Amino acid sequence: MTAISRTGLNRRTLMAGAAAGVLAAPHVSRGQGKEPIKIGMPTVLSGRFTVVGDSARGAAGLAIDAFNAAGGLDGRMIELVARDDKARPDEAARVVRELLNADGCHLLISSSTTAGAFAIQEVVRETGHLCIQTISETSSLTADPKIRLPNVFRGARQVVHDAIAGASYAAKVAKERGLKKWMTNSPDFAYGRDATGQFVESLKKIAPDTTIIGEAWPKFMAPDYTESLTQVLTSKPDALFTAHSGGDIVAFMDQAKLYNIFDKVPMFTPNLADLTSIKQIKKLPPDVRSGTRYLATYPDTAANHDWHDAYVKRNGGEPSNWSWETAAGTAFLLEAIKKTKSIDGKVLAEALRGMTIDSPFGIGGKLTMRAEDQTLINYAIGWGSVLAEPPYLKNIQDTDWSEIFHYETEWKKSKGFI
Amino acid sequence: MTARLELILGAVFAAVLIAIGLSLGDKAVIDVLMRLSIFSLLALSLNILVGYTGLVSFGHAMFFGFGAYVFGLLMQTNAISIPAAAAVTLLATCVWGAVSGALCIRLTEIYFSFLTLAFQMLLYSVIAGWVSLTGGDQGLMGGIPRPPFLGIDLAQPRQLFVLTVIVSVLSALAIRQIVQSPFGYALRMIRDNAERARFLGVPVQRYKLQAFVLSGIFGSLAGILMSLYVSGAYPNFAFWTLSGDAIIMIVLGGITVFLGPVLGAVLFQFLNDYINRITEHHGMVMGVVLLVIVLGLRKGVLDVLDEWRQSRKPRPEAAP
Amino acid sequence: MNFDALIDCFSASACVVTQISSGLIIGMLIFMVASGVTLIFGVLGVVNFAHGALYMLGAYFALTAYWVTDSFTVAVLAGAIGTGLFGVVFERLFISRVYGADVLSQLLVCYAFVLILDDAVKAIWGGDFLSMGMPEAFALPPLMIAGGFVPPFYAFLTAFAVASAIALAALLGLTRFGKIVRAAAVNRQMVGVLGINTSLVYALIFGLGAALAGAAGALAAPVRSATPGMGFDILIESFIVTVIGGMGSIAGAFVGAILIGMIRAFGTVGFPLATEGVTFAMMAVVLLVKPAGLFGKAGR
Repeated sequence: MTAISRTGLNRRTLMAGAAAGVLAAPHVSRGQGKEPIKIGMPTVLSGRFTVVGDSARGAAGLAIDAFNAAGGLDGRMIELVARDDKARPDEAARVVRELLNADGCHLLISSSTTAGAFAIQEVVRETGHLCIQTISETSSLTADPKIRLPNVFRGARQVVHDAIAGASYAAKVAKERGLKKWMTNSPDFAYGRDATGQFVESLKKIAPDTTIIGEAWPKFMAPDYTESLTQVLTSKPDALFTAHSGGDIVAFMDQAKLYNIFDKVPMFTPNLADLTSIKQIKKLPPDVRSGTRYLATYPDTAANHDWHDAYVKRNGGEPSNWSWETAAGTAFLLEAIKKTKSIDGKVLAEALRGMTIDSPFGIGGKLTMRAEDQTLINYAIGWGSVLAEPPYLKNIQDTDWSEIFHYETEWKKSKGFI
Repeated sequence: MTARLELILGAVFAAVLIAIGLSLGDKAVIDVLMRLSIFSLLALSLNILVGYTGLVSFGHAMFFGFGAYVFGLLMQTNAISIPAAAAVTLLATCVWGAVSGALCIRLTEIYFSFLTLAFQMLLYSVIAGWVSLTGGDQGLMGGIPRPPFLGIDLAQPRQLFVLTVIVSVLSALAIRQIVQSPFGYALRMIRDNAERARFLGVPVQRYKLQAFVLSGIFGSLAGILMSLYVSGAYPNFAFWTLSGDAIIMIVLGGITVFLGPVLGAVLFQFLNDYINRITEHHGMVMGVVLLVIVLGLRKGVLDVLDEWRQSRKPRPEAAP
Repeated sequence: MNFDALIDCFSASACVVTQISSGLIIGMLIFMVASGVTLIFGVLGVVNFAHGALYMLGAYFALTAYWVTDSFTVAVLAGAIGTGLFGVVFERLFISRVYGADVLSQLLVCYAFVLILDDAVKAIWGGDFLSMGMPEAFALPPLMIAGGFVPPFYAFLTAFAVASAIALAALLGLTRFGKIVRAAAVNRQMVGVLGINTSLVYALIFGLGAALAGAAGALAAPVRSATPGMGFDILIESFIVTVIGGMGSIAGAFVGAILIGMIRAFGTVGFPLATEGVTFAMMAVVLLVKPAGLFGKAGR
């Protein structure tokens, strides 16, 4: 009896499997005409990084709504297909293949976290689809010629830029205040290592009299920083740099508060001046310096205020750094589509190389997609002192992009990228 | 069924799969079939331990990850052909399986499970921590080169698909031969009553170790296929969640029927992909579906499990 | 590797005190979760893979209670009691159906609940990380002990965990309920024959284990940001602790948790990139040398 009932079950599962095959096949008509342009978006919609996917989808949706409202591409509307990759690189690779092969997406906006972004890079290396990376800030994605692809553009900030901006600012403060002994405390994953390593490298160059007296690498996503924080107490540095971000930097600061670590030690981070993080900090230490992630008041222009308000109106929550990055990446893609009246990856890529667009997030209202390494430049970066209330950052010093370019080129040479 | 008949059936099955994949000419179908082949092989290999030997491994993904990384790293040297790299990888898997297995099989029941978990997480820590070699959490970057060999060019998705299906079906047939052999029946005897098997002269520990290594080799082979398919390797391949997925596959499909794990893999992948496509609340839907299957279809799955359990020695709690 | 730093640390009392205290803190939260895991396994014979999700529930219950009442006491109670009640219902409706089934079906039921609870939390509280902030009562400067620093909140947290451990040991060792539980762990049928409602006992034990995890989540809420899936890491850590200490042994979980805490605290000074590997290696060694764990009874 058991055997029979089991066979029944097996047959059912077999049929389900067959159904999967059929369902997975594209059921969109392949005809021309008013078929929508489909943009696939692999991103994180569950687990600890849900905020990334919410930000990215909200921002891309806002831009696409406007594009469609203006009539689309000769009446062809754009449809955004966002799908959860669970922050897992293997799942990201699978989801991208599914978006391209089963859903018939024409273009990709990859809003996956770093590991997923690299996995997606490998998929489109093979398929050749046009892809805009909007979340991964890890430099090698576009800087390393072995990883860079002609069909992939980064519409996000980049660690090496942030690191130079941070180091340049930190060097000035270090000189004024005599901060010689530095410690670092960053998550042990690609972004954390990259952000910290490049900050340290740049700091040593710009301010050669500083030394790093200790570094701690808490496991990425480790909920607890206690042991590495107490290490700070014993080492007594003059200043601390951290590349924790999102919920982790909030937990990091909450835990540091228990030891009053940052009462005496100034903290430097590229990641705190972001609306989604700073609002969660209940007790702000006296001397925290942060780079601008996303603030409605930086750049303090009407365009940025308007974008912030439109974002909040459409999506409910505050925009994050990931929101503006995805907004910028999407804007480039839409501008290229408008300009070329095409959705052919090669044509779009040609248009995107070196393209400059009007954008609320750029220096002087302009952003550029640098042709040589297909990455975003001239976005607004500044560093300042963090405040507990709006505008959240004061005495902001804008970073000079010529300085960034100078040290970036040196860095690329040292890595053998150019 | 005779071995010859099975071979013919296997060949027919492989031919049908390949025909479906190639004739539809649809990348999505090929994608789905390739993943199903790979995960079916992973589940089948795990079932050598769980279903036939009665050893519940929580760490089976370590072989999957091991295979993917060793193979990927070898290929990235650009100094070795695909079959040679695969052979070296499987040889290395044998060594790793023998070393970790020799230690794991000293334990039984849940303690065995936890030791396999510990070994897997050790391997995972090495992969995640040895950034200069493995790329850490970003995985192996830059793609895995696939130079042509013997006129086969795996850089062509269709050829890779055909090879994946053939390797998976051949592996399934090999596993079938193993579990139907006298060795396979000795494993069942060990599963049902290790004491009695020992009494009857079965070298229990040696057989357990052999089962462990064999299971690892096929798991590693699945990992190799996966690394070719995604052109990379990621730490997740060696993480405990993938071991958990493999266990879920074989439980869904059934562990006492040879093809149970295959059906489980199909069902699991179908649920995962389909639910993720239709709803953002895939966790809730998937959870409810799993509950319904485990608790609702008890009669289907658990009856069989029951027979297996009753034939083992009674649990200590139940002893008078 | 930096063993000089480790030696330097051991020769300075300030470093030793500070790192020991941080090891204790890390260990105590893990203990709160692990004690539930080990209790449930010891009595019910179930490996509760959903225990991390219960920890998460505790944190979210506590957050909500704190927002409503502004009282940390109420928050901890809400975390513990809310999660405990959820545990009782969960045991009655689902876990009770897989008693005696092999570990595979137990794993599947628990896994299903991890998926459901993570998703439910996202649906109810949203996907953004949430932070409680330090309650006023604990917003004090750290205590100085022999040159080392110990924050008052962590002193409270450690005291709370130690008190829970003592209360748990007393409950199981000294009371009539404890006797019944211990008897039921050995032979459920026999206890049932004596006219004792063993279903109730099982439900209460599961609820107690859940309440401990919920309390841990509530205690973590002021210092760790809450997100869906936050129970993931602590689940594996509490498994390590449970295995090292001996599955079913509360005392073992306590010692195992402190051990893991210390490895992490001193590991970060001496071998920061290998601490995780070391904990798993330790688990493997304990299993090989003494499979029943440091405090386990052989033959279980």
